[in-house]
Amino acid sequence: MKNFYDFKVDNIIGLSSEEKEFRNKELDLFDKNGFPNKRDEAWKFTDLNTILSKNFSNITNDYISLKEKKFELIKEFDHNYLIVLDGKLVSNEFKFEDKNKVSIKEYDYKKQISVSNQNSLNLLNNALASGGYSVEISKNYKFKKPLVVYNHFSESIKEQIINYKNSLILNENSELTILNYTDINSKNNFFVNSFDYLKLKKDSNLKNIFINNNRCSCYFHNYLKSDLEQNTNLDNYILSTGLKFNKMDIDINLNEEYAKSSIFSALSLTSEEHQEIKSCINHNFKNCQSYQKIKNVLNDQSRGVYQGKIFVKQDAQKTDAYQLSKALLLNDNAEFDAKPELEIYADDVKCSHGSTSGSIDLDSIHYLKSRGIPEKKAYQMLINGFLSEILEKLPEDNLKKFLIEKIGRQINGY
Amino acid sequence: MLNIKNLEAKVDNKHILNGLNLDIKPGEVHAIMGPNGSGKSTLANVLSGKNGYEIKGEIKYNGENLSELSTEERAQKGIFLAFQYPLEIPGVNTNVFLRTSLNSLRKARGEKELDTLSFLKIVKEKSSELGIDEKFLSRQLNVGFSGGEKKKNEILQMKILQPKLSILDETDSGLDIDALRIVADGVNSYKNKENAFLIITHYQRLLDYIKPDFIHVLSKGKIVKTGNAELGFELEKTGYANFI
Repeated sequence: MKNFYDFKVDNIIGLSSEEKEFRNKELDLFDKNGFPNKRDEAWKFTDLNTILSKNFSNITNDYISLKEKKFELIKEFDHNYLIVLDGKLVSNEFKFEDKNKVSIKEYDYKKQISVSNQNSLNLLNNALASGGYSVEISKNYKFKKPLVVYNHFSESIKEQIINYKNSLILNENSELTILNYTDINSKNNFFVNSFDYLKLKKDSNLKNIFINNNRCSCYFHNYLKSDLEQNTNLDNYILSTGLKFNKMDIDINLNEEYAKSSIFSALSLTSEEHQEIKSCINHNFKNCQSYQKIKNVLNDQSRGVYQGKIFVKQDAQKTDAYQLSKALLLNDNAEFDAKPELEIYADDVKCSHGSTSGSIDLDSIHYLKSRGIPEKKAYQMLINGFLSEILEKLPEDNLKKFLIEKIGRQINGY
Repeated sequence: MLNIKNLEAKVDNKHILNGLNLDIKPGEVHAIMGPNGSGKSTLANVLSGKNGYEIKGEIKYNGENLSELSTEERAQKGIFLAFQYPLEIPGVNTNVFLRTSLNSLRKARGEKELDTLSFLKIVKEKSSELGIDEKFLSRQLNVGFSGGEKKKNEILQMKILQPKLSILDETDSGLDIDALRIVADGVNSYKNKENAFLIITHYQRLLDYIKPDFIHVLSKGKIVKTGNAELGFELEKTGYANFI
């Protein structure tokens, strides 16, 4: 079969010969595997190779970023920001914070955090990544306002793949809310393959939110790896409706006592959108907690996938782990697949999992209509109601209001 | 106001209503009593426009053919059904629901939608009349409400939406005596010359509090006997056996 892609390490400028050697090795490994397909357990429900081959004729990593245009900033709430274009950090503003407490740099590939995850997309990221940022928050510093990372992409990018890595380190007892805000105006199809590394040192607290501003025909794969030290808290919120394809591959390592993490997701998918969450929560130490609640509303021919794994190491006693996925299917052609997985080696743990899917309750629709509420509005109210359990958990009033309104607009036309 | 002629209703090829006739004029209170399975709730559902019934016969509401109107249009034109089993709707705030509902009716009638403040004023007034705690209105619609709270919430909706024809489907079932009195007071205070009630019940008990102008006995999908309030007492003594 003719390959529908052509990747070259040489397209990345400024690499040392050592780096080139490493990257070429990774690219060779990728070439052996190709893009993932259903033979890969982590892609059990999705043949990405086929999906991409149908939608792309020749994907390359040879792209030129346009000069930065003036970007619209969110006005609804005060925030600090990073502006990232095609994965490269172009500007930042921390006017609400003590600037000495935040370090912002370009990602240093010489200190590359090796991505050892089996997924071939991570090999590709190792081979081709450029750009990206490293942010580090000082000890005891608590952010006053959220940090928005504006992810923009050049309109000239078409049929290309963009790879980058980011890292975020929260030092002891620091605190941050980050909104990963993807804003794409382009109608072109392209692929973004990114890696985010999060390190939470003792007593730190991070809220990590993903949202997408408008519909686009982009394909996203994000591998998110996090290491949590003692008494830390990491809450992830995945609200990234609107992308043609999106897979969040999340590894959370609870490495020390009383580390806590959660994944919340509220998605409302239409047309042929495909969204996938694969999580692996590693309870590596005793007395840690994890919580996952995934809610998908699926219309048209959209597809939702949730593969959630909880791994409990032998000495991770008193683990408390919970996961639940719920899907609301509005169309016979929509599909939701779930694969919960528990792998437990300790004997004193509390672990539960569940998954449900169903259609909208017509008696409830009748009840609302009998009060004069038009049918379309009644559907919207029920869909909103279904997702509200997740949305209620969002942090910070103004940010929360902004996100809820945005999601409300996405639930248009059931 | 409501004229039903020879109404038949089938579900899955099973006849439930078999030629029912009923006329309701403004200002009247009608009660429908009858044994289990006689078709009382089907009548309420059919009038509210619930899907799933195969219907023959004629239902006119203020001269309009009701079968041609959707559920929401019926509500917008002043028909209200207090459900026997009000639905629990997770994630939908009761106040938001009430406001959306009232504004949908106002919009359909070409009236201005109410802002939050004027809406809250109405809700406050009506809920205090029914002894409903305001905190209760910030909860999810009917979720975790007791049976009595759900029924009171139905009456609250009636008082806020101000329908012309109110159909109460076994609103008395599951109510203790105090709640029953509150619900009945709610109905009595709303009753006037312009509006009408169709009260579906199993027991005479509710009719001690809400005095009906007519009582109809429904059996096998037909009204087999119509009388005044006295008929209720007779039924209480003798049961339905004499009529079916």
